[in-house]
Amino acid sequence: MERETLRLLEMLNQLRLTEEQKEKVISFCNNREAALKALDAIDTENVERMVHVMPVLTVVREDIVSQPYTAEELQQGAPETDEGYWCVPKVME
Amino acid sequence: MKYETVIGLEVHVELATKSKIFCSCSAHSFGAEPNSHVCPACCGMPGMLPVVNKRVVDYGMKAGMMLNCHINRTTTFDKKSYYYPDLPAAYQTTQWFAPVAVNGTVEIETSGGKKSVRIKQIHMEEDAGKLVHDIREDTTHVDFNRTSVPLIEIVSQPDLSGAEEVEAYLERLKTLLRYAKVAECEMAHGTMRCDVNLSVRPEGSNVLGVRTEMKNMNSIEAIKRAIEYEVSRHIDAIENGTEVLVQETRRWDDIKGKSYAMRTKETAGDYRYFPDPNVMPIVIDDEWFDSIKATLPELPEVKKARYTGEYGLSDYDADQLTKSIAVCECFEDAYSVCGNAKDAANWMISEVMSLLNVKKMTYDMLDLNGITLGELIVLVSGGKVGRANAKKILAAIFDDPSIVPEEYAKANGFIVSNDTGLIATVVKETVAADPKSVADFKGGKEKALMALFGKCMKQLKGNCDPQVLRKILIDHINGL
Repeated sequence: MERETLRLLEMLNQLRLTEEQKEKVISFCNNREAALKALDAIDTENVERMVHVMPVLTVVREDIVSQPYTAEELQQGAPETDEGYWCVPKVME
Repeated sequence: MKYETVIGLEVHVELATKSKIFCSCSAHSFGAEPNSHVCPACCGMPGMLPVVNKRVVDYGMKAGMMLNCHINRTTTFDKKSYYYPDLPAAYQTTQWFAPVAVNGTVEIETSGGKKSVRIKQIHMEEDAGKLVHDIREDTTHVDFNRTSVPLIEIVSQPDLSGAEEVEAYLERLKTLLRYAKVAECEMAHGTMRCDVNLSVRPEGSNVLGVRTEMKNMNSIEAIKRAIEYEVSRHIDAIENGTEVLVQETRRWDDIKGKSYAMRTKETAGDYRYFPDPNVMPIVIDDEWFDSIKATLPELPEVKKARYTGEYGLSDYDADQLTKSIAVCECFEDAYSVCGNAKDAANWMISEVMSLLNVKKMTYDMLDLNGITLGELIVLVSGGKVGRANAKKILAAIFDDPSIVPEEYAKANGFIVSNDTGLIATVVKETVAADPKSVADFKGGKEKALMALFGKCMKQLKGNCDPQVLRKILIDHINGL
């Protein structure tokens, strides 16, 4: 992994890593890369595409409304609420 | 140098389901208290499992069929990374690898002629919640009522070349989706929103210019103004070097008439799409596919041809009626009862549409039972109820669909009387009280007769066959 790739990943994941953490991540990823490349050697030419790991398809429900929860119940673990809203740090300046 | 504009649209349409896409919370929370339509699933709480609303797939498929798309018989959902608090799971559940519909076309017509706009794909996804920034200075308030409301995103190829084509395309989308009854498509209500991807290039070039995207446009007029502004900004940058164009997302300020850079455009890789392990693949078998295909409506232009050909209506009448599927259905039901297409069309266009205007309702909001309207038309054409009283009955039916026209007419004394003795008495009294009109009529003024006729009809409360009244009135005056 290049340092530029890590910089992009940091930005996309909204993370700020220390130099020590960066070295650790790069080393970890480079080790795994070799293992992943080994998969390329497997011939998958006639193998049907796997769309999901579970052998379950088409789990759907009917379009029926139910409202078993209240905002108060759901907001019990919220650090801060105000007039029915969840409060989060300001996201616009 | 001459330039051409290249535009592709991403149109988000809110589907008209009762509940949300992955949970059973109500999808309709306009004006509701904040967070009154939420549950652990749409609040992104750990451990929740989304379950797909079947009707969302029905509608996604139906929209795809209306837009001539290929329907993917195995369609899957994916996670799209998204770090804003209006989607608390930190991803949007959408479709990337196998959207429900691909490779369609939409036919449009402008002053430049007919054109086919290619549809790249239609995918189903969840909407985000609402962030409120102005309640307090130190925090942002989050309302999850809109989170997970079902959307389809219709992605066109860059086949549009200006504001007129964009308007025609959006209008056509609205018509098709409303005819299919899968969406309201009302930009003013936010149930249809549009991202405009635009670039310019020298005329004849096959190389695309730098593309900018304007997000969440919610009025056709604003879109037209934004396109004009952006085209001019791009050309200015190319010809005069006023700025360096970069691929970015921009915000349109319709009051200032300017666009502003929001952020450099993410690429698909930045979203890090990956299959959502919590949502099982949807397999659409033949039975399901055919059941949706069987519900496809007759297209507006096909209806219009049938109305003018089979029913003998004028182009004008057919145009008016086919503006809305709700109007078409009401008209067709009324016609099935009264058997006179022209009568049914006249009632729809002159009376029903007037009532809608008075009530400030759109044609699509029409909820009048066409069968009941047909029964009312039969009462009028059969001479049982006068037109003035029929209008009163129609107004009553509008407010109370349980009303049966004939019963209502009887209960309110609107049934036309055949009592010629009563009519003769009213005529005699009216004529005696207005000798001037009698003299005027005898002097050749036809309008004077109409004045006397109106007074008699008023006395009879409209419950009189106009032909019978006219004959008795003229006979009486001539006999004086």
